[in-house]
Amino acid sequence: MDPSEVEFLAEKELVKIIPNFSLDKIYLIGGDLGPFNPGLPVDVPVWLALNLKQRQKCRIVPPEWMDVEKLEEIRELERKEDTFTPVPSPYYMELTKLLLNHASDNIPKADEIRTLVKDIWDTRIAKLRLSADSFISQQEAHAKLDNLTLMEINTTRSFLLDTLNCMYKLRSNLQPGSSGGKAQDHQ
Amino acid sequence: MLTLTLLFTNFCDLTIDLFLHYFQRVALLVSSDIDALCACKILQALFHCDQVQYTLVPVTGWQDLGTAFLEHKEQFRCFVLINCGANVDLLETLQPEEDSIFFICDTHRPVDVVNVYNDTQVKLMIKQDDDLGVPSYDDIFRDEEEEGGDDSGNESDGGSEPSGKRRRYDEGEVERRIERQRATREWEARRREILFDYEQYEYHGTSAAMVIFELAWVLTKDTKDMLWWAIIGLTDQWVHDKITHMKYVTDIATLQRHVSRHNHRNEDEDNSLSIDCMRISFEYDLRLALYQHWSLFESICNSSYTSCNFKLWSMHGQKKLQEFLADMGLPLKQVKQKFNSMDMSVKENLREVIEESSNKYGMKDIRIQTFGVHFGFKNHFLASDVVHATASLLESTEKDDSPGDNFIKALDCLSRSNLERLHGGIDLAKKKLMAIQQTVASCICTNLILSQGPFLYCYLLEGTPDVKLFSKPMALTLLCKYLLKAFVRSTRNKRCKLLPLIIAAPMDVEKRTVIVLGIPPESETSDKKNFFGRAFEKAAESTSSRTLHDHFDTSIIELKMEDRTKFLDALITLLS
Repeated sequence: MDPSEVEFLAEKELVKIIPNFSLDKIYLIGGDLGPFNPGLPVDVPVWLALNLKQRQKCRIVPPEWMDVEKLEEIRELERKEDTFTPVPSPYYMELTKLLLNHASDNIPKADEIRTLVKDIWDTRIAKLRLSADSFISQQEAHAKLDNLTLMEINTTRSFLLDTLNCMYKLRSNLQPGSSGGKAQDHQ
Repeated sequence: MLTLTLLFTNFCDLTIDLFLHYFQRVALLVSSDIDALCACKILQALFHCDQVQYTLVPVTGWQDLGTAFLEHKEQFRCFVLINCGANVDLLETLQPEEDSIFFICDTHRPVDVVNVYNDTQVKLMIKQDDDLGVPSYDDIFRDEEEEGGDDSGNESDGGSEPSGKRRRYDEGEVERRIERQRATREWEARRREILFDYEQYEYHGTSAAMVIFELAWVLTKDTKDMLWWAIIGLTDQWVHDKITHMKYVTDIATLQRHVSRHNHRNEDEDNSLSIDCMRISFEYDLRLALYQHWSLFESICNSSYTSCNFKLWSMHGQKKLQEFLADMGLPLKQVKQKFNSMDMSVKENLREVIEESSNKYGMKDIRIQTFGVHFGFKNHFLASDVVHATASLLESTEKDDSPGDNFIKALDCLSRSNLERLHGGIDLAKKKLMAIQQTVASCICTNLILSQGPFLYCYLLEGTPDVKLFSKPMALTLLCKYLLKAFVRSTRNKRCKLLPLIIAAPMDVEKRTVIVLGIPPESETSDKKNFFGRAFEKAAESTSSRTLHDHFDTSIIELKMEDRTKFLDALITLLS
């Protein structure tokens, strides 16, 4: 998958906005939205929120998890544990990027949040790399990883699959009965 | 649904359900100056908010405007003209359909009387307190039916009345007719006088960018980007000397209120904004062009204020500059370095130190009220920096640049996301300022400015270095103003100090034309009113010189090289 596809899927997430216009309920294929009244918060998908924000028709309210203290706690927890900890949102990375690029004036302490989310991401990707490495070196048949988000899986997906395919080809091309030592060397 | 309230003069005050209901698309005709570009940017942002379809057409003169109008009149009913179209009878020039509407946001004054009094097709966007001084309706317009209607009636019914009575009746009639004709002639003479007084002097009103920003503010769709563009529009008027100092200070105060309002919004919470957000700040900064992107020394040498005060074209002036720097305790090595690389200890109180020293050398106004913008960690620009950069891009004389391309490049450099273009513009601006400085120095030293009696005159020969730069109106205007200031400083002739200046420079070598422009005399309390527009027209008429009065500023014309002498002679006779 392309990262932009993952971002596209992330834009379906709901976020709270405060509009400055009024509009009746709108009926879209994906569901109903609205009604919009000035000053009253309403939940809309991120794609609509960003469009309205760019047209200066709303103010975006940052999601609850996008807060400096909460993110600091999550980061500490992530650094302590060896396995993956539960994430604040299945699309935390994409939402952070989208909201901070287009609506950073509505999000308090935007710079610190950006740094914290990047730290969490780095820690998790490092754990993923370690895990993939040990999976291959111990020639496991299957692995179970909890709490991974789509974006993180997407970063390793193509590389991991191609690598495993190559290794399978190398292993299956060995003559039956010849030393298995050759396979060891190719790792 | 969505409405736009437009601020009109006190003649018409309407709220119109405009772009979305009556007109599907809008044609935006924008003149080629920085104020117009800024107004255009703000208007484009507003259109994006409301998803209005528009077509942007840059125009450089009346011919361009006419062509653009002809091309688009089939598809568009609504035209918005920025910094063009107010000072000429628009309906007469363009001959539009009955249902076309023109919205004009133009700083050129005086506004043509037909444009002012036309209620239906021409809408002027002017602030309430901009005093236009338009003559009253009855003084200029008069119903045609009153004249001559009674005369013809009497001659026809000749035979039916007894002859004696008719003779007496006829005498009374004849007297009344003579009386009416005399009154009409008097009225017409007065009308001509009033119109002559009204249209004699050309000047500029409030910046178009500021007017459109006020529109955005009324709609509560104003953002910091739009405010910054409004600031740049106003600063353009000051850099190119189009408005008086009083007006500049008043407009700065207006913008300062908006800036505080936006800044107050940010410092509400103790959660500060991201560093990438734009911060506009009021600065009482030095009048040195581009000094933060250049070295301090170069900036002092190439800014008109300091250069004219020190008379840097002479050896004596150079020595005075060295004294000035020594007086402030600034080592030459520091001062010739790039500004950003100067020592912090030197940069700390630079403005105050320079102001103190400048007062000793007779430069009381080295500091001027202006605004600056910060975004990100590296980027800090003053409004005048952006004006110089954009002006250089707009009038760039590189080989393969068409006017349309230059317009788009200049428009791009006003957005925050195109910083490389802005830096490119700043480099071009440095070259332009250095060229101006060198040309001024050579003109003063070789006495190229001659007094022709009622005005001063300077002609740039074809071989002058960088003369290509001066074939463009804005660059030539800067040169002209700078030259006049320098001349006033260097001459001993008291009478010459009060004269206006006309400058001519080669415009197109193949077509053998020169660009001629005139500026009013230099004085502390100048009201910047320019009478050369009418003077040029009359002189051209009387000598039947081949001129092109294409520019929106009537004081800038194009003239055939061969007709130069007779045109000048006619001007001298006219203005003596």
